Amino acid sequence: MEAKDARRVIHLTVNGQEHRIDVGNNETLVEVLRERLGLTGTKVGCNRGECGACTVLIDGEPIVSCMTLAIEHEGKSILTIEGLEDPRTGELDPVQQAFVENFGIQCGFCSPGMVLSAKALLQKNPSPSEQEIREGIQGNLCRCTGYQQIVESIQAAGEKIGRA
Amino acid sequence: MAKAQPKVIAKESTADQELKVVGKSVPILEAREKITGRARYVEDMDAELHVKILPSPHPHAMVKKIDTSGAEALEGVEAVLTYRDVPDKVAEFGSHRFSLAMDQHLRYVGDYVAAVAARTEAIAEDALDRIEVEYEVLPAVFDPEEALKPDAPKLFEEGNDYGASQGLPFWAEYPRGIQEWGDVDQGFQEADVVVEDRVDVRPQVHAALETYVCMAGWKEDSLTVWNATQTPTELRLLLAQYFELPLSKVVVLSEYVGGGFGGKYTGRYQFVTCLLSRMAGGKRTRWALTREEATTYARRPRGKLYAKIGAKKDGTITALDFKGYFDLGAYGNHHGGSNAFHLEGGLLSYKTPNARFEAFDVHTNHFRAECMRSVQMPLLAFAIEPVVEQLAEKLGMDPIELRLKNMPKTGDTMPPTEYTQNASLYPTARLDLYPGEQMMREVLKKIDWKNKWKGLGKPASVDGAKRRAVGLAYCMGYTGFTMDGGTSVRVVVDLDGSATLYAGSQEIGQGINTTLCMLAAEALGVSLEQVSIVTGDTRSGAFDLYAARSSHQLATDGHLVLEAVEDAKRLMREVAAPMLGVAPAEVVASGGKCHVKGNPEGALALLDVCGPLVPPIEGKAAGAPMSLYPEVKPGFKAKQPMIMAAEVEVDVETGVVTPLKLVSGMFPGRMVNKGVVRGQALGGASQSLGMALWEEVKFDMETCTYLNKDFHDYRIPRALDMPEIDCVLVEEVDEESPAHEGLPYGGRGIGEMGAWGAVAVANAVYNATGVRMRKSPMTAETVWEALRREDVR
Repeated sequence: MEAKDARRVIHLTVNGQEHRIDVGNNETLVEVLRERLGLTGTKVGCNRGECGACTVLIDGEPIVSCMTLAIEHEGKSILTIEGLEDPRTGELDPVQQAFVENFGIQCGFCSPGMVLSAKALLQKNPSPSEQEIREGIQGNLCRCTGYQQIVESIQAAGEKIGRA
Repeated sequence: MAKAQPKVIAKESTADQELKVVGKSVPILEAREKITGRARYVEDMDAELHVKILPSPHPHAMVKKIDTSGAEALEGVEAVLTYRDVPDKVAEFGSHRFSLAMDQHLRYVGDYVAAVAARTEAIAEDALDRIEVEYEVLPAVFDPEEALKPDAPKLFEEGNDYGASQGLPFWAEYPRGIQEWGDVDQGFQEADVVVEDRVDVRPQVHAALETYVCMAGWKEDSLTVWNATQTPTELRLLLAQYFELPLSKVVVLSEYVGGGFGGKYTGRYQFVTCLLSRMAGGKRTRWALTREEATTYARRPRGKLYAKIGAKKDGTITALDFKGYFDLGAYGNHHGGSNAFHLEGGLLSYKTPNARFEAFDVHTNHFRAECMRSVQMPLLAFAIEPVVEQLAEKLGMDPIELRLKNMPKTGDTMPPTEYTQNASLYPTARLDLYPGEQMMREVLKKIDWKNKWKGLGKPASVDGAKRRAVGLAYCMGYTGFTMDGGTSVRVVVDLDGSATLYAGSQEIGQGINTTLCMLAAEALGVSLEQVSIVTGDTRSGAFDLYAARSSHQLATDGHLVLEAVEDAKRLMREVAAPMLGVAPAEVVASGGKCHVKGNPEGALALLDVCGPLVPPIEGKAAGAPMSLYPEVKPGFKAKQPMIMAAEVEVDVETGVVTPLKLVSGMFPGRMVNKGVVRGQALGGASQSLGMALWEEVKFDMETCTYLNKDFHDYRIPRALDMPEIDCVLVEEVDEESPAHEGLPYGGRGIGEMGAWGAVAVANAVYNATGVRMRKSPMTAETVWEALRREDVR
């Protein structure tokens, strides 16, 4: 019980904003994001790292936030879906915009995680092949779309980013 | 694709008007909320108490003793519920066996022994550990045919045959779900060739990314429920009935639903959540099922199915006989077979003069069955299409030619002979449009049938152990123009010309909110930006008993949206006529303005007609009371073909089937929103593939354990699993039908039909290997065993 109840204060930069949070050692990152910071855009589809709905970017790398403890991320910079829009103009990130325009969204439950996986992929590889896109989102499950319009969204986003 | 250039006839001599909104590809209205994470699903809201359930470890048992005092004493626990605390009355589910919210008699692994509401999930879980239960374990039954035998363990006092024990009143005449037309025995006597076969189509789980989530709160005698549901109207009715509340005191809110596919109707968990809230003084209780709980909450029924078909030497089908045993699980959906609901489609695929459908809905000690992307069409197709191919083989006929020879066409009366038994009260009528042949041609072209099909049971290529082939399946479906008697819509036209729709339809990701707004914008002559919609909130008063069921919302709610717009326009004409100095019939209402026919320059804005301080104009529409299967025009009904083609590679050494390409043929009539229609076809195709190859519910009889409850082991398709999918979306509109009568601008729902194509994969595997797959899913193990049995290596 002792270890379970142990707590500590950690510092996280979430979507550019610094937070000092008192967290339990056993709290997962997704719990802290959703329940402490109110960032409910990060979804929980399985809570065991199999569906990718809770994907966030930590220092640019996609990670399933249900499978990692918050205390492991002291000092890290975290990007969630809420941090993608331009805070000044309200303009969507090109990846978000491409999902909107190419019917990459149906029920929307996988969309935040899917967009962040796509974002990480395009940051590393701005013009991925279809195969590379599918590899990039292999960890993100979608039950609605059959993935094709998601792949097309990511292709469109890549082209747009490439042109910019 | 040869597209009809549809002529749109409205009441106001706008016959040659070009469509401005309908037919475009428009991002769904909720896209921005969803893609920014701002959309609040039920699990994103604040709950005060968290619900956990103590699941039955036994498939069949009685609770002999239960002691919950340890749980009740735990700090943070605010309510504990067992069978002793629930009302002694059944909840009358709309698509579920009527049952107690909790029962001393436990009927499946996972059944509700006790439920706890506590301040945190962790406390609730700790509380479950402190509940002591003594069970009397009973013998269990898992096979629907076994469960029908007289000596089988009984789940319910009356027996396990749902139809015999609990058919709904108007199905009393045919409790077993019988549809029959012509004389089947006579039909087989006339046949030169008869083929029969059986298949075992095993369950598929809905596996929406959002699990099942319900939150409930009471304020004095008012109940508010936030639920990810496909059917808010139905849930409100059932809760009011169960808790004996005036309907005005029950509110159901369901703005965002993270996928449904037929799983998210009304079950017992909503009632348990409400009961716990009431016990806890009305605090908001939330039950969010874990993934593991969701995977064993509901699934499509398993079907043990028998099909027999007879034909003349020239390929004319003379008779079709079908019998099915559907496994409903403990509390499953009676639509599995008992009411023969939508069965017609599967049997109507061919112009068979004599046909009989008979189904048994049977309770077993598995978790419950629910519709999944139709009541049971993927099962029927899985049984019927292989016998059609075997018939072709026996006749020495090309299977495509055989299908086309027997496939109905536009204007055909279906069924071709009168019903002799008809459990679902389907009318005999002519088909308004049925472009099956055109669809077939286009699907064959896209799968390259000409080059890739070498004959039944013959692979197109053999490379070591790897054999490739194509296969195809066809089925008749429904357009969703059904059940309008349970639906109403309102359109409020504000005086600036903008409009708000209030509909009972439910948005679950299929884009129906956007589609209905597009229809209204088109008919009102305003831009899409000027139309809003309120759904998922029963306070609006809009009603749709069936809501996100049966692909019916586009056709039914859409049709009523256009009727409500017509009603609003009639009111506008009446208001404007005196100011324009003409009779109402001389007035044209469009774009928030009114003008005299032929003089659009003299148009008056609604605001000028009415002045700023009067209420908006409200148009209403509802189907005729009890209307179930409306005609699209007198004497005509709307049906539609679906055709799926698959190219696969089978490794005969390992049994692994790799899909190489799918072509999904659909008939959306007119695509109201093209991107959305294509999205439904593509998504459906991926579920067809999951059903065909990978998605298997594994149950270990020895330990009575479901073995694969998570996404690692219950494998739904991932991005790399999916091959190229091509769609054939045939557009054709009945030019004689006005836009607002019958199908809305000719649009037909196709949401479910893409998911019926698993059997195309089975037919392709046969062509690759020469071995019929009589079981789904065709996992490597299943295929390997079937190949070894017939010594194919």
